Amino acid sequence: MAITMEGVELGVTISEKAAEKIRYFASKEGLEGDVGLRVAVKGGGCSGLTYDLHITDQKLETDKIVEQHGIKVMVDKKSFIYLVGTELEFSDGLNGKGFVFINPNAKKTCGCGTSFSV
Amino acid sequence: MNSPAVYSGLAAEYDAISTTAGLHDASYVGRLTAIGEDVLDLLNRLSTNKVIDLDSGQGAPTVLTTDRGRILDLIGVANLGDHVLLITSPGCQEQVIEFLDKYTIMEDLVVKDVTTDSAMFAVIGPSSRSALEAATGTGLPDLAPYHSVRVEIDGESAAIVYRPLGQLPSFDVLVSAENAAKVWDHLRTAGLTPVGSEAVEIARIKNAVPAFGPEMGEPYNPLEAGLIGSIDFAKGCYIGQEVIARLDTYQRVQKYLATLTFSPEAQVSAGSGLIRDGKQAGSVTSVTRLPATGEVIGLGYVRKASAEAGVRLELEGPAKGWAEIQDIPQLFGPGQE
Repeated sequence: MAITMEGVELGVTISEKAAEKIRYFASKEGLEGDVGLRVAVKGGGCSGLTYDLHITDQKLETDKIVEQHGIKVMVDKKSFIYLVGTELEFSDGLNGKGFVFINPNAKKTCGCGTSFSV
Repeated sequence: MNSPAVYSGLAAEYDAISTTAGLHDASYVGRLTAIGEDVLDLLNRLSTNKVIDLDSGQGAPTVLTTDRGRILDLIGVANLGDHVLLITSPGCQEQVIEFLDKYTIMEDLVVKDVTTDSAMFAVIGPSSRSALEAATGTGLPDLAPYHSVRVEIDGESAAIVYRPLGQLPSFDVLVSAENAAKVWDHLRTAGLTPVGSEAVEIARIKNAVPAFGPEMGEPYNPLEAGLIGSIDFAKGCYIGQEVIARLDTYQRVQKYLATLTFSPEAQVSAGSGLIRDGKQAGSVTSVTRLPATGEVIGLGYVRKASAEAGVRLELEGPAKGWAEIQDIPQLFGPGQE
């Protein structure tokens, strides 16, 4: 079932911890206040498709944008179909994996978790 | 194939490309142009070799693999400056385009099949370089495989891509369809012997070049096909990388492409089984007869336990005789560290 917020279907939901880390990385890049996060999919990785994260304030006309925990999460239309329902978490600690995608569309995921196929 | 099987005589044509140089119409080989900012980046993410840093004039072989690490096709990537040329196996253009399309999401990339809209002539043979220099009146720099240079032939612009057949030097001359006849005539008049597809097929097998179908395709992975030299193990992820890295690290490759010779009385064809100590040890994939000596040679896949030069294998009936492994060839050399 699609996850919605205020009636808008979310491509990607981000956890509080992931939002905190995004703000941390944004501040390291000198970005304060409104932070935009682009979540995209591109070809490659072991399984065919791979995730791409960017901190940016550049919006595309075709973006679906939903603000969560103070972060504007931007997903372009083409990536949206691969990402709908995805949760972005942050796995902390010495053996943590960093940003982790939980994507219900992924039929296969590679060992390191950054690549998937649908 | 749009090249005649034989022009004047098979023996003379094979002699030309194996001892001096010959001219072959290779226009049936697949050619795609790729234009856009993300061409090399995307190819780097989808295939085995590192192609992201190829400057204008540089090129490299790379293998498009499935997520199970199987061969979709071996392609030559040549950065010609204003576009990137992708040389595919004959007839594989469509599947390569489909594969690239499937994984093009936001990338700036336009791929076009130009196989029938242009021409490609191969100058093949040990002295192909000097023959081409004499025919074009231009000195050629040392070129690594799939590296290229632009020249003028009889006033017409052409790109020359170095695409050796294993150890046998070979240069592809790429021209527009409208200049094809003029350039072909110019190269012939310069003394190059026209060579048909039959002699080139013999040279392919003799020089251990795997072909799509018999030796390359989804039944095989690049390590089995001797293509380790087109794999960059340090560049990071590409489709199929996890499987290929594991096969290499744990030495789990099950079979290898081998060059074969056969007993003089052997009756053998592609598909003949190979037996060792009563057990299946592989199969023959390509067979040909050398015109001058009548010697029958071939290629085949043999199981790892038997994949060693000098090992003699029995041909499974209805074939008769034996096959001997000459070499386990690596088309682009050993793996990159």
